[in-house]
Amino acid sequence: MSARDPDDLLRDGGGEIGDLYRRLPRYDPPRRLDRAVLNEAARAVHSGKPPRRQRWIVGIGSAAGLVLAAGLAWRIGHEPMSTNDTVAPTEAPRVVPVQPIDESARARHDAPAREEPAAPPAAASPPVEQRAAGAVSGRQKAVRKQSAESKPAPPPMQAETPPPAPAAAPAPEPFSANEQELDKAKDAEKSESLSAGGAPNATSGLATQPATSTKMRRASPTLPSSSVELQRDMQLAPRDWLAHIRDLMRQGRRQQATESLRLFVQTHPDQRVPADLRELLE
Amino acid sequence: MGSEKTDEELMLAYAGGDLLAFEMLYRRHRGTLYRFLLRTLRHRADADELFQDTWSRLIAARERYRPEAKFTTFLLQIAHNLVIDRFRRLKPQASDEETEAVFRQLDAPESDQPERVLTEFEQRRRLQIALEELPEEQRVAFLLRVEGGLGLEEIGEITGAGRETVKSRLRYALARIRARFAT
Repeated sequence: MSARDPDDLLRDGGGEIGDLYRRLPRYDPPRRLDRAVLNEAARAVHSGKPPRRQRWIVGIGSAAGLVLAAGLAWRIGHEPMSTNDTVAPTEAPRVVPVQPIDESARARHDAPAREEPAAPPAAASPPVEQRAAGAVSGRQKAVRKQSAESKPAPPPMQAETPPPAPAAAPAPEPFSANEQELDKAKDAEKSESLSAGGAPNATSGLATQPATSTKMRRASPTLPSSSVELQRDMQLAPRDWLAHIRDLMRQGRRQQATESLRLFVQTHPDQRVPADLRELLE
Repeated sequence: MGSEKTDEELMLAYAGGDLLAFEMLYRRHRGTLYRFLLRTLRHRADADELFQDTWSRLIAARERYRPEAKFTTFLLQIAHNLVIDRFRRLKPQASDEETEAVFRQLDAPESDQPERVLTEFEQRRRLQIALEELPEEQRVAFLLRVEGGLGLEEIGEITGAGRETVKSRLRYALARIRARFAT
């Protein structure tokens, strides 16, 4: 056999060199590595992703949440006038107590007139605030502020002006709560449209997310778009994905390319990283 | 029953949540993978690190495993990718001139070569030294063949080299090992 002929090595068992190789000390991994690997495998199975049945439940749940959010958003789109109409009178009594206190105090001394109560001035003062807060967001702030401020107010109202209070007082609570819910639903819908590229899991949690997180998303639009892009990259076949990373490099989006390549390596650990892209990993 | 299952079946079972399948798979391949890494990297600490890293990546990618690829190829592919990353930070490859010098010596007539009868112990020692001295690509090809039991195509698939290139690397590796025995 020629020294240059590898056929001997390619025989079953690797030929004479293969035999000799197998007589070398047969090192095995230390036990601590065995434990570490087996623990990791167990963790991945037990605490990783839920079994398929549970995933279905999560999917159905998130779909139901989306339908609900869409329904609420549709409703709010068709009832803007009615909400405005109802909000105005509901807010009136909340501001009332501040001004009429003097008048009612006077009224105690002067006369027990029922017509005098502060209903008209009270109704006059809130519209000024409302006009200033004409925009929807302004209205939300006003409603929140008022609901926060008005909580201590109702007792004097109930004491001094019983007739208007029961008519108006019960209304604001459910309406402001409703509005907040509807606004949340709107937010949810907006962020859904943002992540429409393919973040099914992200949308499922939106209904319960605090309003601040949606605000943050709106404030920094690059963050979700980047993660959405990465999720989109994950759908690509390995070869297409690498081509896409090269495109990103050509467009000068090096950071995006690096993130995408890191994700590629994690997603496809068995795929080789081409030499021209390896520098991104360093 | 379980021991009759192929590696590929075990891997799919593990992807479906069967931990026992993974344990069986691990027991079958832990030694091969560890020795491949240890002899390729030549440092126990590096081998330990990449051994764990290889399994971690395999675990993370379990749901993407498709049985079209032989499990050994899949596992050693992951390990090889990690090895390549590690090599990039290390020394450069041995030059072609150096390799050719080895061949020149081997191509000399038998009569010109020193005749030696080596003891078993000496043979193993020399093989070990020869393996350590092999250029990285040749050592990887040799180990994938002898330790991993892979064929030319599979080695080519893992290393990204063509069939003939793999054959050439094995040929060079064999020549260098023999040269070590001849000196």
